[in-house]
Amino acid sequence: MDRQNIAQNELYCMGTLISQKIFGPNSMHAIKASELEIKRLNNMLSRFVSDSDITKINSAAGLMPVMVSDEAFRLLKYSAECSRIYNGCFDITVGSIATLWNEYKIKKISPVRKDIRKQLAKVNFRDILFDPDNSSVLLKKKGQSIDLGGIAKGYASDKVLEVYKNFGIESAFVNFGGNVAVLGSKPDDSPWNVGIRHPRHKDSVIGVVAVKNKSVITSGDYQRYYIDNSGKHYHHILNPKTGYPANSGLISVTVVAESGVLADALSTIFFIAGVEKSIRILEYFPNIDVVFIDNDLNLSITPKLTCSFIPLDGIKVSELD
Amino acid sequence: MIGWIIAFFFLVIIILSGGYGWSKIKKEHNEIMSMPFSQINFDELGEGSFEGYFEGGMYKWRENSIKVTIVSGKITDVQVLQNKENRPSEFTNDLFERVINKKSLEVDTISGATLTSKAYLKGLEDALKKAQR
Repeated sequence: MDRQNIAQNELYCMGTLISQKIFGPNSMHAIKASELEIKRLNNMLSRFVSDSDITKINSAAGLMPVMVSDEAFRLLKYSAECSRIYNGCFDITVGSIATLWNEYKIKKISPVRKDIRKQLAKVNFRDILFDPDNSSVLLKKKGQSIDLGGIAKGYASDKVLEVYKNFGIESAFVNFGGNVAVLGSKPDDSPWNVGIRHPRHKDSVIGVVAVKNKSVITSGDYQRYYIDNSGKHYHHILNPKTGYPANSGLISVTVVAESGVLADALSTIFFIAGVEKSIRILEYFPNIDVVFIDNDLNLSITPKLTCSFIPLDGIKVSELD
Repeated sequence: MIGWIIAFFFLVIIILSGGYGWSKIKKEHNEIMSMPFSQINFDELGEGSFEGYFEGGMYKWRENSIKVTIVSGKITDVQVLQNKENRPSEFTNDLFERVINKKSLEVDTISGATLTSKAYLKGLEDALKKAQR
């Protein structure tokens, strides 16, 4: 393909490094538009942006409802629905407890049970009250806080693919700090080879999944972790039931799905729920594939993935029933 | 007094020969370090076992022969047949594994990689750009 028909860049946004590669005659226009789209979404959905819809809701918690954009309203509704269905494994009101863990991380100290209990009392998705008539959202209790960290990047990847399509692009990928979405196939019509990071060796991959038109999203215990002053390791995926980092026996979960927003939510849910519960949830999603990696680096994959997944030599893989 | 002169004489010899020896070692290191590798097309590998030989550089210290086995286009085994440097097998196994895996797991992008350090640098770059007047 002509060199000028390829556009690629890296930008820092949504708290992570985002890279994209686009093939096609409009690739230069598409990449600029997608950059604007990513910034727009960050300004709407980040709780760290002072005038985002989420910050407005969080600031008015326990006080008054806040009118938000239709788009933010829909995503919040979707997230709350995920919380309801997967009762307890996913909750976007983990903001207050995430803030507490960030403080621990900065000070490198071990968590204080009393503080966690106090913040945990503010975690409850049922306290998000929606008013569809005027697109307003209210958090019932003071100090409650919404954090879309478990879903926003997946949603953004879907939106970026839409931008690509609007420019007539048929071959591209975007990678939000490890949350990958691919459009179509590579220009030579072969599938994209998406590596799955080895959870214990940061410079290597544990396997490769070959995909077309899919999102490949991984939740792992090695992302944004910290080690406290006594040497204990804490990762960033919090179990909303306990207030502590999830400890389900899994160290990495990769979800392969057409929808990025669903893949993002499910990878978090599966990571927290563990293999057994995840298998039961998977019965409702026949088109979704998963790579589970447990503490002993054993891999288990959904049967459909057998043809498209290549593990690293020496890695044992079993098929889920 | 004569004893001291002899001692001093030997010391000078040791220093000079040490310096000379070191320059030779350095030369050898530089030669190995700057040795280029040819481009191998991993997609076009013949079937079977093949033996390779390296004469070991200017002093032949690193002489070795290696056997590689290829099955259906993929490297399945690498063996050290002769090994003058006597590196432990863990060292060579690890090294070869990296070569094999690098090939067999060629990827377009990586899921689950946070690229933490690079991300921080990018964040810093972004902040510095904003700090520019």
